[in-house]
Formats: sequence, C-alpha cells, structure tokens
Amino acid sequence: MHQAIPYMSSHNNNFGNINENYYSNKKKENHASSKGEEKMILNMVSENAVIVIGKRGCCMSHVVKRLLQSLGVNPAIHEVEEEKDEVIVARELESIIEGNVQFPMVFIGGKLFGGLDRLMATHISGELVPLLKQAGALWL
Amino acid sequence: MNSPSAQFVSSRRMSVYDPIHQINMWGEGFKSNGNLSASIPLIDEADLKFDSSQSEDASHGMLGTSNKYEQEANRPIDKIQRRLAQNREAARKSRLRKKAYVQQLESSRLKLVQLEQELERVRQQGMYMGGGLDSNNMCFAGPVNPGIAAFEMEYGHWVDEQNRQISEMRNALNSHISDIELRMLVDGMMNHYAEIYRMKSAAAKTDVFYVMSGMWKTTAERFFLWIGGFRPSELLKILGPMIEPLTEQQRLDIDNLGQSCQQAEDALSQGMEKLRQTLADSVAAGQFIEGTYIPQMATAMEKLEALVSFVNQETLQQMSRTLTIRQSARCLLALGEYFQRLRALSSLWSNRPREPA
Repeated sequence: MHQAIPYMSSHNNNFGNINENYYSNKKKENHASSKGEEKMILNMVSENAVIVIGKRGCCMSHVVKRLLQSLGVNPAIHEVEEEKDEVIVARELESIIEGNVQFPMVFIGGKLFGGLDRLMATHISGELVPLLKQAGALWL
Repeated sequence: MNSPSAQFVSSRRMSVYDPIHQINMWGEGFKSNGNLSASIPLIDEADLKFDSSQSEDASHGMLGTSNKYEQEANRPIDKIQRRLAQNREAARKSRLRKKAYVQQLESSRLKLVQLEQELERVRQQGMYMGGGLDSNNMCFAGPVNPGIAAFEMEYGHWVDEQNRQISEMRNALNSHISDIELRMLVDGMMNHYAEIYRMKSAAAKTDVFYVMSGMWKTTAERFFLWIGGFRPSELLKILGPMIEPLTEQQRLDIDNLGQSCQQAEDALSQGMEKLRQTLADSVAAGQFIEGTYIPQMATAMEKLEALVSFVNQETLQQMSRTLTIRQSARCLLALGEYFQRLRALSSLWSNRPREPA
C-alpha cells in the first residue's frame, strides 16, 4: 500500500500533512531486476522534491525526518534494510554523488543536499527553508 | 605702533617657549617610534614664518633682540631635550621590564592553581579508591579509563583558560579597546568552545555513556543536561537580555534563530528517544548479554553527542553573524559568566554550613 508519491502530487500533500510515505526496499523483489532497481532510486530522487535515504531503524534518519516534518515538509523516505542493500544503493548513487556515501542522505530538488550535519547547519543559518521553498517542497 | 610691536614681542616670546615644549614632546615621539619626525621641521617652519613676518615689521631692533633670545635659548634646549628624552627612554624600558615580570608572575600563579587542582583531584580519587578508613585494598573503584582520566585533566585546564578569557573580556569591554582587538577576543572564545567540543567527541569514543551523562560537569550543570550538553534554546534565553538594543532586522533574525534552534532540538530529542528505546529493547531482549559491545549503538550515540555540540556551535556562529562585534563580545561574556556561576553554585550549595545533627 505504501508508495513513493511522485513529484507532482506531492505538491498537494505538503500542506500541514504529516503522513510519512515509505518505500521499503524488499530484497526478494529486486533480485530479478537490478537494472530496474538502479533506475528506481534515481527516479525517486528526481521525482521527489525532498527524499531521505537512510538505514532502517537508524535514529539519525529519524532526526532528519522529524526535522523536515516540523518544517511542514512531507519528505519521501527510502529505507535501506541490510548491509547488502546498502552496497547496491551506494553503487547506484555513485553516479550522482562524488565521494563516500553516508547515510542518512537528503536529496532536495533532485540533487544531493547532504547529511544531517549539513541539514542542521543550513537550518540554523536560516538557509534551509528558502531552499525547500525553491525546490517546491514547501509552500508559504 | 607700540601695541603691534608689543604684540609681536609677546607672541615671539611665546613662540620661543612653545617650540621648547614642542621639541621635547616631538623629540620623545621621534625617539620612541620614529613617527613624529615629520613634526620637527614644523618648528623650523614656524620659526621661519615668524622671522619673515618680523622682517616685514619696521623695527629692526626688535628683530635683533628676538634673534639673540633665540640663540641663547637654543643651547640649553639641546641639553634639556636630550636629557629628558633619555629619561623617558629609561622609564619606558623600566615599565616594559615590570610588565614582563608581572606577566611571568601571573602565569606562574595560574600554573600553581592548576597543580593544586590536580592534586586535589588525585587526592579525592585516592580516597574514593581507598574506600574505608584503613583498607589497603587494591581494587580500584574510580575511573580507570585512561582516555577519560586524560579528558578530566584537560577539562580542568580548559576551565582555567575559560576563566582567564572571561576576565580578559570583562576588562576589555570596560576599557575602550578597538573593534579589531575585540574581534580577536571573540574569536579566541569561540575557538575555545570548539576545543571543548573536540575534547568531548574524543572522550565519547572511549566512553560514550560517560560523556552522555555529563560526568565531568558539576552537579548544577548536570541538572540542565541534554544529550551530554546544553540546549541551544537555553543559550539563547540566557543571552536574550544581554544583547539589547537590537535593530528590527536583528530582532527578526534572532527570533528566527530561536525557532530554528527549537526545531533542531526537538528533532534531536526525538532521535535520542528512539535510540533509548532501541537500546532498552535490545537489553530486554538479551542482546547485551554480559554487556557485549555493539558498535552501531555506540556510533549512533557518538554521532548524536557530536550533533549536539555542532548545533550549539552553529548557534553561536549564527549569533555572531547577526550581531555587532561589541554585542557578540557581551554575549560571550554573559555566557561565560553564567556557566561560572552555575559551576560555583554546585560547590557553594554542597559546602554550605549545615545544622548540627
């Protein structure tokens, strides 16, 4: 029942709506189509105004989610379950990310924004909200 | 005719005396920093001006007397000038020597205080480990983690340096130092805070629970503990009254900063809650049999602790960006004094005279 909400309809969902939407990465389903999976992640990144990719059960991802939600953003969430998934996801994202892949990762407007550090720093300096508005993740 | 010439005489006499005074002042300046050499020729210019105006005057007699006066005055001027300049130089050197001696005394005193504190700490640890009155047991109940012991010692030094910086800032704000010097003090204090955050992170790697519980802090500070540190919103509350008067733009910026801090704090608190829950569940489920070390848990806690320090640091940075340098200085002073008082509170309350039982 859970799906990633594509970009266009996420516009409608953002107003004070604190529903989380999950796309769980089930290992069994993806054995057949690793190519498809590759596209999937990249598609999600480009289709969502804000997407958080993190490890399941990680409290850091939790912090990212809560922070974004408190700002009124409805971020898409992609949870990476086990070590193996992590490697696959990391490899895929290498094409659009320079350097090491560190979870949790935040993508805003289809581009890699950074991790929790960058999120916090940008929020404290007051630059995060304008950025989110620009990417269409927030409406005044 | 008389009055203009009288006028000239008196003003001439004044100009003879004035150059003496001025030569001496400028002479000193010339000797000590070489900057005022330009002013010395001015005397000659001034004299020349008077001479030329004198020559335009009809009375030659007056010109003659003023020249003689000038020649007689010149020889003693040289000697006086030289002697006074030498005196000044000697006095200056003496002052510099005294200053160096005082500085040496102060740093020795500081070192003495540090050594005394370390002695006290070690003595207390010895008592704790000794346990009973005469027991000579070898089992150490005190902290044996060398990383933590090192951290505690470093922390003592950190506090001493902090106290020194606070006094320096207080004096600076009471005197009228330039903005540039004030900026140096502000940067110094900010760097000092960065230092304690670094130390905490390193200590967390050896014993994360120790850092999370704020064990190195005084009991009063621990009362306000939040994820091993201090709430950024608390920081802003303390600083609030210190930074008035504010411009409208500043007020807006500070309000926004307060709101951002609160949101960051809430998110971090929820992350901490989740971590606690995970840990509790794991312990209940028997995953930590005999306290086996689970790296992911420790890493998560270390990251949270580091984030708290990071958020505090970023908050201070953002404050300093919003405020003038003088306001920032007042803020840092207020912050430092607040923690000083909080630390003092602990020992005052625990050492208060009690009613005899």
